[in-house]
Amino acid sequence: MRLTPEELRARKRRNVWIAAALVAFIVLVFGTTVLRLQQNQASERALLEAATGTTAQ
Amino acid sequence: MTDVQTQPAISTAQPEDFFQLLKPRVMSLVVFTAATGLVVAPGSINPLVAAIAVLCIAVGAGAAGALNMALEGETDALMRRTRGRPVAAGRVKKNDAMAFGVILSLFSVMLLGMNANWLAAGLLAMTIVYYAGFYTLLLKRRTPQNIVIGGAAGAFPPVIGWAAATGQAPWQAWLLFAIIFLWTPPHSWALALYSAGDYAKAGIPMMPVAKGAKSTRLQILLYTLVFVPVAIAPAFVGLGGLIYLVVSVAGGLGFLGLALRLYRSRAGDEPDKAEAVGREAALYDVRAQAKPARDLFAFSILYLMALFSALLVEALSGLGA
Repeated sequence: MRLTPEELRARKRRNVWIAAALVAFIVLVFGTTVLRLQQNQASERALLEAATGTTAQ
Repeated sequence: MTDVQTQPAISTAQPEDFFQLLKPRVMSLVVFTAATGLVVAPGSINPLVAAIAVLCIAVGAGAAGALNMALEGETDALMRRTRGRPVAAGRVKKNDAMAFGVILSLFSVMLLGMNANWLAAGLLAMTIVYYAGFYTLLLKRRTPQNIVIGGAAGAFPPVIGWAAATGQAPWQAWLLFAIIFLWTPPHSWALALYSAGDYAKAGIPMMPVAKGAKSTRLQILLYTLVFVPVAIAPAFVGLGGLIYLVVSVAGGLGFLGLALRLYRSRAGDEPDKAEAVGREAALYDVRAQAKPARDLFAFSILYLMALFSALLVEALSGLGA
């Protein structure tokens, strides 16, 4: 199957956008994971403080 | 044989075509109303979590649009307003649009669940299924009430935004839902009044096609009478402040005036000029008698934007109730 220059150009542009979208998705998942970890740590610390009545270091 | 030779070996669809599948204009309204729900909700939310949540809601809504275009390609090709859409015009294959919609739906729902909470993600998933499945496949071709029931899909974003911020969907969030839900019939039927020929050709029983223009004009007025008080209500329940009160009352009176003018007009009684010659219609390329319908349609968009802008401005500036 021989592709025309137009088909090749269109496929290349689509591939570039798919790659960019995948990278963006990975960054978003990573950012979300980091945020979640921070929130969980903060709430654990708050629970600990409430239970012991002290300020955690 | 000739057909096979002239068909491209692979798709020549451009990224822009896939972007068009997301219905960017609808998506911008979804972003706006979802962001309003998120900001108006009580409590604080991490700005990054909020931004990702709004992005997920926007992409989810876009995915529903892509599924709608994939399923409606043949019908869209029959109507002037929609025949330039990527699937209808043959630039994107139906299966490609379907796959695009399904993948974006899954990614947006999953990411919203991980990022915010699973109530918001569940509501987003329900919205996609409601719009692409319930509205597009079941309601649209079966009842003139299609837009009334289907309008709920467009009303969910502020509730999803609220749920993303708080993990709850209290009655205040559903008041925002009610505003968009009740706004949809007058807005859509005003458009349908001067595009009825298109809907009839595509076999879609929109109100002017099924019940006639006169009945549609009356129903627009009746819905407006219910919609305007509901649109003003946030000013009296602690959601909106003085700015919202002024905007909602002034705009509501304008909306009511235009609906009354439309009711007294003969809009929709005859096909518009562009429809008669079968070409694309410009904004005011309609018969003089259909102008009240076009005016209400344009004003309805402005009014909804103004309502949510007022809520957003008040919440961000601390001027709210």
